Amino acid sequence: MKIDKKILNEIQDIVGKENATDNEVILESYTYNWCVEFINVMEGKDPIPFWHKPIAVVLPSTTEEVQKFVKLCNKYHLKFKAQSTGLGPWNQPSEDDVIVVDLRRMNKIVKIDPKNMYCVVEPYVTGAQLQAELLKYGLNCHMPGAGPQVSPLASSTSMCGPGFTSSSTGFSGRNVLGTEWVLPTGEILRLGSLSLKENSDWFHGDGPGPSLRGIMRGFIGTKSGLGIFTRVAIKLFPFPCNIKQLEIKNIIPNYDFDIPNYMQFHLISCKNYETLELAFDRIEKEGITFMCFHTSTYGLHTIFSNTQEELMNRAVASPRIKNPLVVLITANTKREFEYKEKVLKTAIEELKVKDVVATGKYIPPNIAYAEALRSALGMHGFLATGAFQSTHGSMDTSRLCRVLMERNLPLKKEYIDKGLIGNDEGKGNWSTSYEHGHFYHIETPTMYDQTKVESVEGFVEYLDRCNKLDLVEHLGIPFFIEGDKMHDWYGPQCSNYHIWLRKIKTKFDPNFVADSGFYISPEKEENKTT
Amino acid sequence: MNNQIKKKLIEICGIENVNDGQEVLEKYSKDQSLVDPIKPLLVVFPENTDQVQDIIKLANQNNISIIPISSPNKYRFHGDTVPKSDNTIIMNLSKMNKILRIDKKNRVIMVEPGVTFGELIDVAGKNGLRLLNPLFPRKSKSVLSSALEREPPIVPRFQWDSSDPLLCTEVIFGTGDYFRTGIAAGPGTIEEQIESGQAQKNPMGPTQFSPYRLIQGAQGCFGVVTWATIKCEYLYDTEKLMFSQSDNFEDFFDFMRYLIKYRTADEVFIVNKVNLAALLGTDISNLSNLKDWILITNFTGMGQFGEDRISYILADINDVINDYNIKLTETLGNIDNSKIFEIIHETCEESWRLKYKGGFQDIFYLTTLDNTVLHYNLVSKMTDLELGVYIQPINQGCGVHCEFDLYYNPADTNEGSIKKSFLEISKKLMDIGAFFNRPYGLWADEMYARVSNETISALRRVKEIFDPNNIMNRGALCFKEE
Ligand SMILES: Cc1cc2nc3c(=O)[nH]c(=O)nc-3n(C[C@H](O)[C@H](O)[C@H](O)COP(=O)(O)OP(=O)(O)OC[C@H]3O[C@@H](n4cnc5c(N)ncnc54)[C@H](O)[C@@H]3O)c2cc1C
Repeated sequence: MKIDKKILNEIQDIVGKENATDNEVILESYTYNWCVEFINVMEGKDPIPFWHKPIAVVLPSTTEEVQKFVKLCNKYHLKFKAQSTGLGPWNQPSEDDVIVVDLRRMNKIVKIDPKNMYCVVEPYVTGAQLQAELLKYGLNCHMPGAGPQVSPLASSTSMCGPGFTSSSTGFSGRNVLGTEWVLPTGEILRLGSLSLKENSDWFHGDGPGPSLRGIMRGFIGTKSGLGIFTRVAIKLFPFPCNIKQLEIKNIIPNYDFDIPNYMQFHLISCKNYETLELAFDRIEKEGITFMCFHTSTYGLHTIFSNTQEELMNRAVASPRIKNPLVVLITANTKREFEYKEKVLKTAIEELKVKDVVATGKYIPPNIAYAEALRSALGMHGFLATGAFQSTHGSMDTSRLCRVLMERNLPLKKEYIDKGLIGNDEGKGNWSTSYEHGHFYHIETPTMYDQTKVESVEGFVEYLDRCNKLDLVEHLGIPFFIEGDKMHDWYGPQCSNYHIWLRKIKTKFDPNFVADSGFYISPEKEENKTT
Repeated sequence: MNNQIKKKLIEICGIENVNDGQEVLEKYSKDQSLVDPIKPLLVVFPENTDQVQDIIKLANQNNISIIPISSPNKYRFHGDTVPKSDNTIIMNLSKMNKILRIDKKNRVIMVEPGVTFGELIDVAGKNGLRLLNPLFPRKSKSVLSSALEREPPIVPRFQWDSSDPLLCTEVIFGTGDYFRTGIAAGPGTIEEQIESGQAQKNPMGPTQFSPYRLIQGAQGCFGVVTWATIKCEYLYDTEKLMFSQSDNFEDFFDFMRYLIKYRTADEVFIVNKVNLAALLGTDISNLSNLKDWILITNFTGMGQFGEDRISYILADINDVINDYNIKLTETLGNIDNSKIFEIIHETCEESWRLKYKGGFQDIFYLTTLDNTVLHYNLVSKMTDLELGVYIQPINQGCGVHCEFDLYYNPADTNEGSIKKSFLEISKKLMDIGAFFNRPYGLWADEMYARVSNETISALRRVKEIFDPNNIMNRGALCFKEE
């Protein structure tokens, strides 16, 4: 379908002529999305990284423009799909005849409040921009593992939220304060202390009474399926070391960095997953880490490499580290650093594990320290094959992570042996601590070859088996249980949550204008209960 | 109809668990707040989740409102559990009082509603855990409802999300449907989940909504929680109190922010001398050697290097303390530190506020630290009553719980004038942006009048989903019958 020119004109009246288009060339550019090749395979199509072409693209610059546009969608029964940077997965239409709302013109850091430890951002502010400003106040923000190029607003309001620094900066969905949100009806909903008609403020996200954060995002976010978030207040953290600026030397790929005082990586080799679980719990006990996560030896080589060549060299020449636990200690003062290092050293002795950095066997490159501060380790995942995606994803305890890794190992190996997915020996996991060991999540990043049909298909089959494994063995709900089909599969095994989620969608999007390919569609007329 | 309901409730819960004695009804018709009394039809004491579910189904069939109550308290304070309509039954959950699981490894405890701080602080401690408790809670206060009501924990550094320490819950919604929130939703039964290593810790979800956030702060309006997991911390091995005093509480702010930013202090809060006296159970005249305002903070350490943690923090503080223009001391006048440890770590027999003069009304809300100065200046001019103040940073420093306690002796005070003054002060504070995020009793109408229509409309839509017949605590919050 093409958009009716009259409707396009009305949209242009709202956002300005140059900010809404149905130009074919531009529309085509919105059809690419990371990982969509495997969604295509799931739908029985070719494994290409392009999906449904939108019928128009709109670039609003204010909340009011977003509101007017959403009201127009209700008037003409048009669907929309919002994106902040568009760099993450699942940010384009899941069906034909949808309008993309590209929020790139809403790019302001609205407020940094160092006294009350929060900031307010619009959708197109990136983590990198925000962090650069926060550094001036000795503050830091949580960033998802995706990296500093993505939108803290999208992560906090609409997506998942694990990050490499989660042990000390938590999870995106738990750092949310006051929020401004255009509902699918076009109402502007403001959460918490922002809901006051007068003297509203951003510092709190719940109440009065029940917290509407309860319908806002859950664990993995509604992915534009329940409206458009226009501004959000996010909780901040102290910058982990005492520096005023991050200065990178040299040029890509040979970046270098002077490691600031009081920062030290530790790579702890654990003989098996049981030891890894013990190490997680023990090391997080005193709350000393800035980062505390597990990845495979191969994963380790990846995050410490900047080129494929370097990666291959590390894979061949570097020592094998069994089930590594990556710990980064940071401090603002010498005393703090010495205390934390002492605690860690003792824990390592108690656990009878080895720190291969301390033994001089493995030296993380200097630039890794900068990338740790910048939360930029994730992009290394693309080095080997150009494509990867995770399976599983539940979050609870270190024991759950261990059990899941153990059960997943033979399954992953099966697909590696068939030559369908990248060979990480079945151990390509990423598990991180949150809030100093209060939670742990586990996902299994898996490499595949986008250019080979068998590989994409193999990944899809493996993903499906992972989802089944979690269901049958009670290992929590994976990340990718979203969309009607998945919810209707998992819901009946999980307190029938899909029924309630669908009721929320029905009440808050009565005209079904928010694309719900990665959320849930409303109740069918005949099933409506209220 | 009353008799029929009673009969059915007896069938569900047994005769010993249904009470409509006049004395009991009288007791539940009012509390210490200034809310007008209404008698409930009866009080029912379910003993398990099935009974709770059956009662809610019965209430739906007979258009009866239910007010859930968790603790076996003699006194209640905020008007939230007083019936707001005829045809109300009180569901007293205090017989569901089992500690279902203590899990040191995962720092979590699963409790039923009737488990009290008096019991759990001890049990947790014996198992190497500590609770995130509010300031000097009543012994008989329910741990579950304190978390459900978002009472402020006194250790802001451990409150990573404003919903802490509440994690997963088992709930019967107003529809009568059974649900488990967070990762507890499934797949698998709780036993099967434990088998696979879970501990019902992740409160978010299932998937794309977090119903625990809806039932938190809802004053029972969406359903009844029958167990919850509570986030705990490891018990410390060593601790050190520090104090500061001033004639002006603003003097503490920058230093407090420093403590909160770097997450060094555990307990950190401000009280005025009146509230310190109330907390210590003494008369203010016994504190004449203290200044008007007191900052209390406590540092802890655990394990082999526990003392070292405290030493490094204090040495670092020493390096910067001159920038903050305050003096820190290791004791507070001639008060024994054990008394202070008692108020931050233990429970009181009856409300410390009530004990002070025999009567009190507390006005509490959320705001930011700086605003409390303006608020105090306003409130102190509006009342002649003895005024207690308590300022508690929450959510790792993104705001404070601010509390003004109006103390009086009920024997020589006119309740009407107290009610007037309580409402006037509350309204004035609301007018200048005080965020009453727990709008109990008389506050509800005032607060929701100041909240955007979109918020109220959204809350009502949620109510229609989880309690379509409006049987749960009918008339509370913004869910008045039109
Ligand atoms: C290599 C890579 C690694 C990743 N690793 C992680 C990780 O470790 N942890 C993690 O949490 N995520 C990860 N992601 C996923 C994702 O990129 C992040 O969650 C990110 O924070 C989302 O921000 P974005 O700018 O990418 O969002 P976008 O790409 O703009 O959008 C992401 C989703 O949110 C919706 N959305 C965006 N903005 C709005 C809005 N304003 N209103 C309503 N809906 C909106 C979109 O429709 C889309 O469904 C990864 C992605 C990549 C590419």
